[in-house]
Amino acid sequence: MNRSLAFLSVTKSFGKTLALDHFSVEVAEGELVSLLGPSGCGKSTALRVAAGFENPDSGDVMVGESSVLGSPANERGMGLVFQNYSLFPHLNVRENLEFGLRVRRSSAAVRRARVTELLELVRLSGLDDRLPHQLSGGQQQRVALARALAVEPRVLLLDEPLSALDATVRVEVRDEIRRIQRGSGIATLFVTHDQDEALAISDRVCVMRSRRVEQVGTPRAVYRYPATPFVARFVGRVNDLAVVVRGVGIVALRGSTSGFPVPQSGPSSGDARLLLRPEDVRVVGLSDDALARGRVEAVHFGGATTSVDVLLTPSNQTVRSTDATRNVRCEVGEEVGVVFDTERALLTREP
Amino acid sequence: MMSGRKLWWSVLVVVTVFYAIPMVAMTRFAFQRVPVIKLSWSNVFDKWTVAPIGETFADPNFRSSALLSIGLSVATAVLTVLLLVPTMALAHLRSPRVRRWIEVSAVLPFVVPAIALVVGFAGAFRGTAPLFIRNPYGMVPLLVITALPFTHRTIENGLSSIDLRTLVDASRSLGAGWNRTIWTVVAPNIRGSIATATFLAITVVLGEFTIASLLLKNTLPLYLAYAQGQNPQGAFAVGLVLTAISASLIGITNGIGRRSRR
Repeated sequence: MNRSLAFLSVTKSFGKTLALDHFSVEVAEGELVSLLGPSGCGKSTALRVAAGFENPDSGDVMVGESSVLGSPANERGMGLVFQNYSLFPHLNVRENLEFGLRVRRSSAAVRRARVTELLELVRLSGLDDRLPHQLSGGQQQRVALARALAVEPRVLLLDEPLSALDATVRVEVRDEIRRIQRGSGIATLFVTHDQDEALAISDRVCVMRSRRVEQVGTPRAVYRYPATPFVARFVGRVNDLAVVVRGVGIVALRGSTSGFPVPQSGPSSGDARLLLRPEDVRVVGLSDDALARGRVEAVHFGGATTSVDVLLTPSNQTVRSTDATRNVRCEVGEEVGVVFDTERALLTREP
Repeated sequence: MMSGRKLWWSVLVVVTVFYAIPMVAMTRFAFQRVPVIKLSWSNVFDKWTVAPIGETFADPNFRSSALLSIGLSVATAVLTVLLLVPTMALAHLRSPRVRRWIEVSAVLPFVVPAIALVVGFAGAFRGTAPLFIRNPYGMVPLLVITALPFTHRTIENGLSSIDLRTLVDASRSLGAGWNRTIWTVVAPNIRGSIATATFLAITVVLGEFTIASLLLKNTLPLYLAYAQGQNPQGAFAVGLVLTAISASLIGITNGIGRRSRR
């Protein structure tokens, strides 16, 4: 029976340290929501509150229609996967998977069938008798996921399950988690500090900053339409340019005189920062109608994702572009022009 | 000036000799049928026998005190594990302050002499719970306390060497209550420490004299002290056997420690 998970204005402090401040987010049935934020932003605390390891000072945590705050951790029916390898070291894979079923007094036949099914699900059939230390990190996390799913939890809570893994294994396990989560349709909360991970795996991303929710939205929305400068800077790469506001909707790069239009929200005078995605910066030839000029400082060749750093003159700031038009020669030292597509840019005073 | 290595060796030799001479003397006294004043280099290999052990075993007083000591060792070891593992695991998870407090109180038996412990214990319970004083197993709590400096440290090391929080959280999230978590997840992962604590508790009980003596309980050490007058050879023989048992328990403990660290 699948359910949704909701935090309603949850506040939690440890002694005098506030860990969560009126935190609200909802994970719908079958949805995967990431809690993304720098360390110390409260994302792990939120997960531990949901799991029942911490009690909130105020607010509520709902699964489906009912509050779970009254039940202890072992009666909440939530599947957990941890950052640290959490398999019971003294039990083999089969016994680890059976643990929750034994607690629920399932019969031996039921347990056997379920273990076979789970091992198939995480593609580790045949490893029943291995001890955790005989498995690779990726395999351990897959067993941990299977173990969490064994008891058919109402909600799945993943606490940075990939951060102890190597880069390639990380992507593999990430995709595995997504595939299994889609298949099972369990509401899933995925805590991470890695924005690539959050963008790749989530239905929605909840960006957190210092104990509060900063923005919740689809990965695309959070990336393309960041609600705050913090989100723009934290999610994905952003060009963070010093500008001088010339009037409502008009700015000029600091040290330059030629103004260009920007969205009208934000400060209307004085110094400000313009936040601009690399794909909104186009490198053009000098003859074109360039907004600014500069010299190519570095080319990061990555096939489809080649990016170019341009040192702007005279404002002496570097911008990165991932939209170097193919007909412009982009080699280090080359003089080029740059065009800004400022439709989705953010103008802010926040340094 | 001696080099470090030479110094190291000479200290080792001196200490070994210091311990070995009485042990050898005891062994010869206990197991050679040669009058003690005639023991010398010339008769090192003469008239060895294990009969004194048999003679001691034949004494019903020995058998009752040995049984009592074994019973006390087992009871003390079991109570120690039942008390320490859950308490210390919870302290590790919940409160560093309580953990420090336990740590300090665990070394108190080093500071408070056993005699003070017994006098207090007897004074408090003689009037209120005389059965507790009369029954030899009433000593068990006192023995647990006496062994605490050793057993606490061992369990503490075990708990610190595992990722306790993650294991406990994982177990709880899978539906296990505290009891099940402690005994099926935490305990098996510190089994080396638990075995060591058990052996240490047994060793302490087998050698404990003051408490038993003051409470007038006939444990093995008391019997041995008494038997020194009656059957000195037998007393020393059994004393040596006890020493060998304790030494091998500690040896086994080391073996377990090494294996579980792998």
